[in-house]
Amino acid sequence: MYTLERSPAVHRTVVSDRREPVPGIVILGLHVPHLASITLPGQFAMVVPPSGEQAATALGIYEAEGERVSLMLVVVGPRTRELAALQIGAPLDLLAPLGNGFELDALGDNVALIAGGVGIASLLLPAQALAARGARLTLLYGARTAAALVDADRFAALGAKVVLATDDGTRGHAGFVTELLRALPKHAFSGLAACGPSPMLRAVGRAAAYLDIPAQLALEETFACGVGACWGCVVPHAASSVGTPVGLIRAKRAEPPARESDRFCYARICKEGPVFWAHELRW
Amino acid sequence: MAEATQPDLAVALGRLRLSWPTLMGSGCYGSGEEYAPFIDLAALGGVVLKSVTRHPRLGNAAPRLVSTPSGLLNAIGLQNPGIDAYLENDVANFADRPCAVIGSVAGFSVDDYAYVTERLAARDEIDAIELNISCPNVGTEGETFACDPSLAEAATRAARGVTDKTLIVKLSPNVTDIAAIARIVEAAGADALAVINTVRGMSIDVDRWTPRLGNANGGLSGPAIRPVAVLAVWEVARAVKIPIVGQGGIETARDALEFILAGASAVGIGTGNFTDPRVPLNVVDGIRDYLAARGHSALSEIVGKANPRFAGVR
Repeated sequence: MYTLERSPAVHRTVVSDRREPVPGIVILGLHVPHLASITLPGQFAMVVPPSGEQAATALGIYEAEGERVSLMLVVVGPRTRELAALQIGAPLDLLAPLGNGFELDALGDNVALIAGGVGIASLLLPAQALAARGARLTLLYGARTAAALVDADRFAALGAKVVLATDDGTRGHAGFVTELLRALPKHAFSGLAACGPSPMLRAVGRAAAYLDIPAQLALEETFACGVGACWGCVVPHAASSVGTPVGLIRAKRAEPPARESDRFCYARICKEGPVFWAHELRW
Repeated sequence: MAEATQPDLAVALGRLRLSWPTLMGSGCYGSGEEYAPFIDLAALGGVVLKSVTRHPRLGNAAPRLVSTPSGLLNAIGLQNPGIDAYLENDVANFADRPCAVIGSVAGFSVDDYAYVTERLAARDEIDAIELNISCPNVGTEGETFACDPSLAEAATRAARGVTDKTLIVKLSPNVTDIAAIARIVEAAGADALAVINTVRGMSIDVDRWTPRLGNANGGLSGPAIRPVAVLAVWEVARAVKIPIVGQGGIETARDALEFILAGASAVGIGTGNFTDPRVPLNVVDGIRDYLAARGHSALSEIVGKANPRFAGVR
């Protein structure tokens, strides 16, 4: 019954509250009876466009409590513009909850959360779950500019040490948030959980390998179906149990014979992910 | 008081009977299982499974998708486990589907089409076969079969020779004269035609000076190609007697009716499911209301009614 209860569905929601902490970033609170309790930290929703004129949009679930979930979106194109314009009382349908979510128990008791831009949206639920079991938390949070840093105080309120970075130096470290990892000693944390754009996540993966810290990365990607049907959103992944053909990353190399780490398959970000162990990605 | 009789929406494609005139497009719907949480599969005419090939295929490098105006450009590259693993691990799961299950076969030689069709069609879980001779995303080989009349004929004849189940051949729009190919494929033994597969296309990142898709070129789907697809159905419906599954950018009942009035007996829905998985339900409900409002008792009554030289059988 556990799996049945957790299985995704079409959820009919109504916009219950709306917040625009900075122009261009909107947090939509949604009233929905049976979603928050089955949502795992790191899962996402496919948001069905009310107009029916756009493809559905994948958004990480930001908050989930009682009969409310919320979604954080950045206005970047027609799909997000349509959603950002929704007012309180507007109906909005979601396919949710989707994807695998974080394996928080595997990250230990001293966890750094690393967020780039609206990647922050996928890290509040993990932070709450980790705080609830007494883990020590550090938030490393980077954005383009100071104004685009959203809700860092929510993490501080959970007891997290918050370290900020901005590309333009208007707040905190001037530069990428991943540069903050360079100064750390090995094993500085028991685990990392990160969400942000791909170049940032690659940098987190490299740093995690160097620091010898297990890291889980929540990938941001444009999906078509979002439910594992179309195989459009893939990432090269260590050959594994995904049940899909395996290739060699360096297939042209004749000598020496391919190592196990050269073998990979294309895993679906929306189905096998969006959270992957950094050391299992072959990107 | 007697209830008004509902219009009959059932469709026959060769021996295959569909309760509803809606097929979910190959490659867009996985095996159907992925969408089961969001829609009652019994409300679908059928699911055309993701294409399977003789050998396993890794698929194309990412990115595999690009959104374009009113469209979706894709180059997945037929990622699949190959027919051996597919028969061993996957096909048994299709047994309990409450709608038609149509296997999709892709290949790189006439022998591939015969071999994979024979093995797949032999399984009871598979109700019919769609021959994908028109994949645009696997180098030049995949689509060659739909673009070369002699190869289209040979692949169809080869598959026809190994199964009595309904054989649907999926045609490419990337040809000069789709009606000529349709005639040849009909003569080679196809029971029905799927019209159309994706339209070849490309999108280039002008900041990075490189195509956006990992495969460079891809196939365009969605509302952007609907007029192309409607015309293709119109032309094919004047050339063949066998039923046509019309597809290309269908998102509403009125979209579907364009195809039906052009000469399609059933419709395919692919990219439309990405807007809302309930699109197939809305299409069926809308067609039913349309027929009832106009006093028709069956969908077949209006097939090809906008097409003065419709040559098919209603």
